[in-house]
Amino acid sequence: MTPNAPITLRSFLDSVGRIFAVFFRQGRRSRRTRFFFLFSFLPVAVSLVIKFNQIFSGKTGREGTYLFTNLIMLFYLQMIILILALFYGTSVCSEEVEGKTLPYLITRPVPRAAVVLGKYAAYTAVTTGMVTLGLLFSFLVLNLDRLFDPSLYGQLGRYLGVLILGLVAYGALFTFFGSTFKRSIFFGLLFSFGWENVIQYFPGSTQRLAIAHYLKSFLPAAPQGRFSFLTFRLEATPPGLALLMLFVIAAVALAAACLVFSIKEYKLED
Amino acid sequence: MTAVIATSKLSKWYGNVLGLSDVSLEIEPGVTGLLGPNGAGKSTFLKLITGQIKPSIGTVRIFDQKVQANQSIFSRIGYCPEHDSFYEEMSGWMFLTSLLKLHGFSPEETRARAEEALDIVELSTDKDRLIRAYSRGMRQRLKFAQAIAHDPEVIILDEPMSGLDPLGKRKLIRLIKTYKERGKTVIVSSHVLPEIEALTRTIILIHQGKIFAKGDIHYIRDLIESHPHMVSVRCPDPRRLAGQLLQEEYVLKVHFGPDGRSLLVETNNRDKFFALLLSLLVGNRTEVEEITSPDDNLQAVFDYLIGK
Repeated sequence: MTPNAPITLRSFLDSVGRIFAVFFRQGRRSRRTRFFFLFSFLPVAVSLVIKFNQIFSGKTGREGTYLFTNLIMLFYLQMIILILALFYGTSVCSEEVEGKTLPYLITRPVPRAAVVLGKYAAYTAVTTGMVTLGLLFSFLVLNLDRLFDPSLYGQLGRYLGVLILGLVAYGALFTFFGSTFKRSIFFGLLFSFGWENVIQYFPGSTQRLAIAHYLKSFLPAAPQGRFSFLTFRLEATPPGLALLMLFVIAAVALAAACLVFSIKEYKLED
Repeated sequence: MTAVIATSKLSKWYGNVLGLSDVSLEIEPGVTGLLGPNGAGKSTFLKLITGQIKPSIGTVRIFDQKVQANQSIFSRIGYCPEHDSFYEEMSGWMFLTSLLKLHGFSPEETRARAEEALDIVELSTDKDRLIRAYSRGMRQRLKFAQAIAHDPEVIILDEPMSGLDPLGKRKLIRLIKTYKERGKTVIVSSHVLPEIEALTRTIILIHQGKIFAKGDIHYIRDLIESHPHMVSVRCPDPRRLAGQLLQEEYVLKVHFGPDGRSLLVETNNRDKFFALLLSLLVGNRTEVEEITSPDDNLQAVFDYLIGK
């Protein structure tokens, strides 16, 4: 690097890539990842229980797609991706401050914003991997009898896309929380299981203030059934607009997180 | 010699608390010791010159470049933080190679540099162990390794010898001195005078956020020599001992303790006083329970120097 070299987009992206490589590797191997990997496989266990019950009781019950959409998907959408995004997103900045490892990163030739974006991308990739595997296994278990139906895999792709979008948007928001608040997990929990869980069921345009609203807008309209009360008030936003909104939320949250991380002087407490 | 690091009117406040005040100095290649008691502002100064925090007033320049928001300068600086903090789930090897990758080295160069740095700090055989299994001394050496692995021109070490055993300290001192011979600029902070004294003659004295003095270490040695020392002695017959001590001109005052078994002696020549005390104790076969020097620390010296 030349003295006082201006940061070009290419050099910035290089820095993001280097941070990503380091923390993706670290993130995959961490004890936290092993724990959350098991956690994200809870729906697989539920699916196995349902399937064994169907096989051994001889009752077919609800078909696999129905159970998947109304039980497993909601489990992922309303709990697992929120928890994963919360713990990984807030840790992007706060683990460096709480672990007092921040000086190792900010005294390297990488912009601070690249640290945020690189770690965010790495942790989003790690959580995406966990969710993808869990969702895939749950889906296959519940649809064992229809594995050769190609239309099923279109649905699976759609569901997976929704969850990844959820991880992207929630992860970005919680990255901002982690860069800004000292008790970011607490505020994240309030947001996840307070705000999101309530606002998304409000009628009219109020429900558009929840990220979950945009995610659910991609899902097929819920058929009337046992679990339909969870989604029956959804006034879906068109998919194109929902996608745009999710990207805007993620971009604004990440830009704010980068700004805060770049200017804030964190106190490394003993 | 050209200054590598130059600060001008550098000041830092943390809210209403003064961290550093009006520091203007130039640091040249070689080893410079930053000496001051705990809370003097050493770490604040080091964080300011490494761009970790922004000055409230003033400027820092390294190689005549500004440090703030100038990432390119960090390939020329190695920083060893004071905290005993690591990515505990990494091995020493992974820690070092990860940080080297952030400099943009190729995989081959990263491996070569990491191997060299681990070899220098004698951690090669333990490189694959998790950092959380390292001893305190190994952790200190690893922290030093990450500061030198990218071969920086400026090496900034914040309390690098804390937690090291005497042998470890001696090795590190020898190692730091080799960087001086290679023309590097090394700043070492410490609150322990003998550590700095073993490293360099060039020191900066810092106290209460202000640079108290900058120059040769003999300057502070002279100041310390002229500093009246307090020595406390506990023995069964302090009155007899006091009578003998007061016959010497370098024994300024004697105070008796409330328990009647101790005395506090003030002297302006510590070496002569201890020689006398030893000869009296041996000659009189006096039993001594305890000899302590309540002000034998840097804080006391600084308090004396600033006229407290």
